[in-house]
Amino acid sequence: MEDQFTTVDSSKLNVVLRMQPGSSAAEIRLGPRQSFTAEGGAMIAMSPNVHMMTTTHKKNSGGVMKGLKRMLGGESFFLNHYSTGHEGGTVWIGAVHAGDMMVKELNGEGIIVQGGSYVASSPDIEVDMSWQGFKSLVSKESLFWLAIKGRGTVVVNSFGAIYPIQVNGEYIVDTGHIVAFEESLNFSLTKAGKSWINSFLGGEGLVCKFKGHGTVWVQSHNTTSFGSILGPKLKPRK
Amino acid sequence: METLDKKGFDFRIDCKPDYGFLTVNIPSGKKLKVEAAAMASMDTNLEMKTKFRGGFSRFLGGESIFINEFTAQNGSADIQIAPACPGDVEHIYLENQTIYLQNTAFLASADSINVESKWQGFMKGFFSGESFFLIKCSGVGDLWFNSYGGIIPIDVEDGYVIDTGHIVAFTDGLTYEISRVGGYKSLFFSGEGLVCRFSGQGRVWIQTRKITPFLTWINPFRRVKSSN
Amino acid sequence: MKITIEGKPVFAHVIVELEPGETFVAESDAMSSMSAELDMTAKLNGGFFKGLARKFLGKESLFINHFSNLTSEPLTLHLSQPTPGDIEVKELNGESYCIQQGSYIASEPGVKLGLQWAGFGSFIGGEGLFKLVVSGYGKVVFGAYGGIVEKEINGEYIVDSGHLVAYGPDMKLKPQLAGGIFSSIFGGEGFVTRVEGNGKIYMQTRNMSGLASWVNRHLR
Repeated sequence: MEDQFTTVDSSKLNVVLRMQPGSSAAEIRLGPRQSFTAEGGAMIAMSPNVHMMTTTHKKNSGGVMKGLKRMLGGESFFLNHYSTGHEGGTVWIGAVHAGDMMVKELNGEGIIVQGGSYVASSPDIEVDMSWQGFKSLVSKESLFWLAIKGRGTVVVNSFGAIYPIQVNGEYIVDTGHIVAFEESLNFSLTKAGKSWINSFLGGEGLVCKFKGHGTVWVQSHNTTSFGSILGPKLKPRK
Repeated sequence: METLDKKGFDFRIDCKPDYGFLTVNIPSGKKLKVEAAAMASMDTNLEMKTKFRGGFSRFLGGESIFINEFTAQNGSADIQIAPACPGDVEHIYLENQTIYLQNTAFLASADSINVESKWQGFMKGFFSGESFFLIKCSGVGDLWFNSYGGIIPIDVEDGYVIDTGHIVAFTDGLTYEISRVGGYKSLFFSGEGLVCRFSGQGRVWIQTRKITPFLTWINPFRRVKSSN
Repeated sequence: MKITIEGKPVFAHVIVELEPGETFVAESDAMSSMSAELDMTAKLNGGFFKGLARKFLGKESLFINHFSNLTSEPLTLHLSQPTPGDIEVKELNGESYCIQQGSYIASEPGVKLGLQWAGFGSFIGGEGLFKLVVSGYGKVVFGAYGGIVEKEINGEYIVDSGHLVAYGPDMKLKPQLAGGIFSSIFGGEGFVTRVEGNGKIYMQTRNMSGLASWVNRHLR
């Protein structure tokens, strides 16, 4: 369990992750007059002196992010701001896909995060939904991506356990398994096997080849495979 | 097999918090009440009887109205119990106390525990996908309950606000009020829906996952009914 | 070759380190990430007709991937399964072992996969008509929905359908009613499997039909 104590620097969040990697929840301990932003719908519980406000854009940020429909479930992507007064407080945050969570401290650099994976961030972190880098991606998942940058703390979640891969040269990751990666990496879509036939028969299809130096955070499982197995066993929908 | 306290049955919970699996050793001649369909495996000298749980209210709530009673014959027996959904299992030994459980949270109990459904009324019920019923457990003996997600106990001293979909159980002595959080705009946009404000002194057990977003996610994977 | 399993039991995933010249065999779509230099070739799962049988009767994939390290450096491969849950590794030394349909994930090339008729008893008990039998030499990786727990059986034990993952080949599976007729229908247990024999069995702490019924109860 990570426990990052920063009472001086209010741009960092004190986050304790619990129940990893299967049913992760983030316990965010706020000092007096601290605030943070989290995805709409993610609050589990909060102590009585925390104030919550809903908005469609990040506080103090110039642009307005239009509410984007979340591809995974058609839910709108709205944000909640939590803040404390003269007393501190605690907020428990969960995620739609219970799975793993990860806390990343950013010091000005940027990471690209799968849209469904954003959970929460501290006030000086910019969340940009207009990143088009993967527009050419043809993948099984219909995903959108966020460009996250700034100084502070970001919490992301995944379906599956999160493990980091240090790319030093080239590395291949199945597209449905990418959680986040450092902006500095180059990437291209490629076939997994030696030939196209091989790639499709082998079930992998198109995969993402990362090039350069940087970290990719990978999730061990993916929602499409699980949904395809569970879905047919359920009552049909109208 | 570890025992957490010498009162009550010997038991063990494996695979916490995600796939909690309960093993109970039932002494010879004794009985264990278990949620219908929750038995995963057992010794062959256990006799199973199905009993009517008590009230059609549970049926209306969508849960089974039956409960299974397992009695160990000619010797003690092991039984392994698994809830249907992924999540945690917790144990509490009640000493003439009362605990309220979310409608789907009852897993197993000693025969001496009184288990009944309580209608919460339209206003006090937990909306957002959960039913209006709570299960009231009281008496002296072991009680095991399960959740969807990991279970975290929160001690309430002067109030706490909890999303209704995340409540598993709470002790008697706490009062609660269902309300929206954050004002009118938040009801529709915040995704939080309804929350429960607890006051008083006691303990609430929360679960780290919530059913409604999971249902929304799996919906597109379901087969579509043909409209003939 | 080094095989490590992390994320147990809920999101268990397999990390395989292959030395130069080594090959590892895994079912379709099991790869989540791998060194770019690793060679991946799709092959039929042991012959076309046998492969078809395995796909439809044993619920395994028709094609299987051979990952080979053709370079002179060690390379890494990450594998997982479609459902969340636990993963176990078993080392075979010439003997054979029975695994439930759909549980197979990967194995060393020396392990052979075969289908065997499991008998109507097994079918009634909810364990399916066929079972996958692995035999030969090497490690076999299998997974489950839920956590995997081991149980030592001495004589006989009752296991609810859907919770049995793997068992020794000389164990007999017999169906039986969980309780009387009323109990079996209303008590939700239905038919269960009576496992007879001596040795270790692997059980999973959840099962997909239980999950499906629970979800269905909440669906309109």
